[in-house]
Amino acid sequence: MHDLCALIPLGDPSVADPFAAVAAAAAIAARSGGRVRAILLGRVPDADAIAAAERDGATDILSAAHAGLSEPPQAEHLLAAFEHLLAAETADTLFLLPAGAVGEELAARLAIRLRGVPLGRCTSLDRDGGQVTARRASHGGRAEARLTTQAPRCFASLRRPAAAPAAPGAARREIMLDCPLPNDVPPPEIRHTAGEQARRLEGARIVVTGGRGMAGAEGFALLRDLAALLDAATGASLPAVDAGWASVGQQVGQSGAFVTPDLYLAFALSGTAQHLAGIGLNARIVAVNSDPEAEIFRVADLGLVAPWQEVVPELIERLRAR
Amino acid sequence: MQVVVLLAGVVDPKWRLGTLGLRPGTAQVEDTALPRKLSPFDEAALETALQLRDADAAVTVTAILTGGAESDGLLRAVAAFRPHRAFRFGDAAMSLWDPATAARLLGAAVRAATEAPALVLMGREFGDSDDGVLAPALAEAEGWAFCGLAHRVALRDGDILLHRTRGARDEILHRRPPAVVSITNERGNRLRHPLMKNVMLARRAPVEVVAPPTAPPPALALRAIAAVPPAQRGGAGRVLTGPVAAQVEELAAYLRASTTGAA
Repeated sequence: MHDLCALIPLGDPSVADPFAAVAAAAAIAARSGGRVRAILLGRVPDADAIAAAERDGATDILSAAHAGLSEPPQAEHLLAAFEHLLAAETADTLFLLPAGAVGEELAARLAIRLRGVPLGRCTSLDRDGGQVTARRASHGGRAEARLTTQAPRCFASLRRPAAAPAAPGAARREIMLDCPLPNDVPPPEIRHTAGEQARRLEGARIVVTGGRGMAGAEGFALLRDLAALLDAATGASLPAVDAGWASVGQQVGQSGAFVTPDLYLAFALSGTAQHLAGIGLNARIVAVNSDPEAEIFRVADLGLVAPWQEVVPELIERLRAR
Repeated sequence: MQVVVLLAGVVDPKWRLGTLGLRPGTAQVEDTALPRKLSPFDEAALETALQLRDADAAVTVTAILTGGAESDGLLRAVAAFRPHRAFRFGDAAMSLWDPATAARLLGAAVRAATEAPALVLMGREFGDSDDGVLAPALAEAEGWAFCGLAHRVALRDGDILLHRTRGARDEILHRRPPAVVSITNERGNRLRHPLMKNVMLARRAPVEVVAPPTAPPPALALRAIAAVPPAQRGGAGRVLTGPVAAQVEELAAYLRASTTGAA
């Protein structure tokens, strides 16, 4: 049976939940046995990261640091360092990386580089004998595919599972790396975006989202006012991002951010399967839509059949008056 | 400069997937009866390529659509945007489920367009089966540079300039050709409308088809695929109607209770 090993890139704030891969590996081990290795890779040794990996169920933690990594690290440097770390691996292993742009790129590129099989962003993984079975969403989250492989090295990305098994305690080891990192890829110029994204979607307790029916950027300015009153993050559907009313980083859905708030306030969006795939199942959805037939009402805890133009200003006024 | 845009198309999201499944005795998805369209990410990649062509007369754009004859209508729609060349690559039996095999096939598709690609553009998801693996897998398999989830691309002094958003930061990256870039949707890359005369020309033009090379047996086998019902959520399903002011008052009370209770 394949060993389990979580690969955790550190030092990039855009990786919303780096230890999700450890928790996912621990959940697989709880079903089918085995230990959970975690390889943490950052610029400096990070005691907090080691503790987090242990909390999430790692039984063997290798903390690797390379002084040549920048913060945030470049993908090419992470690839070179992980490739160096995995060069001596011989056992059949299922490598897990955190879901999200960084983890998914690393998983795909490492798999090809190390002649493994990239499994993509899986919803579940199982090991049986020498076989790995992966389930993956397809068709915008409206279908599910079951795939199998007997390849010795598999690379997948997963989100944090709903239930976490108890952490058994871990053996820890720290190493300093000095393997060469590519020097032919210039670092990106980085500009931090303005305040509207200060509240991150991932990890927000409340998310206020607008859809195609917002009909313009002005409506999104109002949603940001409402979000500020609720200490919430502001999200958007794909058509709203397409229209330029919200930024790429605000897109929620199968192809955007996956959010797990307590409350999800959805304004003027229909509730397609692709959008709902980006909202955690435990989120209570409040929907405001003038169309009583909108799909979003089928999954809402509370729905208002009303135009957002009347609801949002009135709601802001009432919340300010409280 | 040779720019290649790889397009996959998706089953029209407005259509039900009830008939989705595997062709009997094969590992191939039977969805040929379902109408296809370009995905938002296909469109963003295509528009990006067209903008590069418009900005620089030295840019040659080849559009490649993967798939079987069921995609010919879609290829004609792509050809209506007047890339320098547009062809369909593949057949009904070509499967992109195994990323390593798919990367080899897509590499062959690019080489069928040009032996010297400078920039290969793809949507951030390639078709219905991909969630972002194929673009980095192609780059890695070919030894080309990679940038994922760019929303704006420019060419400057032989370099490729890429804008993308990562969390709370905007990044500008420089890549030397050849490079694979996956494109995400943004206002600046919404696909333009084709001229009607070009639509009519494309409808009459023959479809160029390039056959894929024989692929080795995939290391990752598709065993089953089916539509899934929407995930069950525990919402109370209470829908308010009536005067807006009363609805808003109830919503405000709900929010107060929710935010106070969680605090």
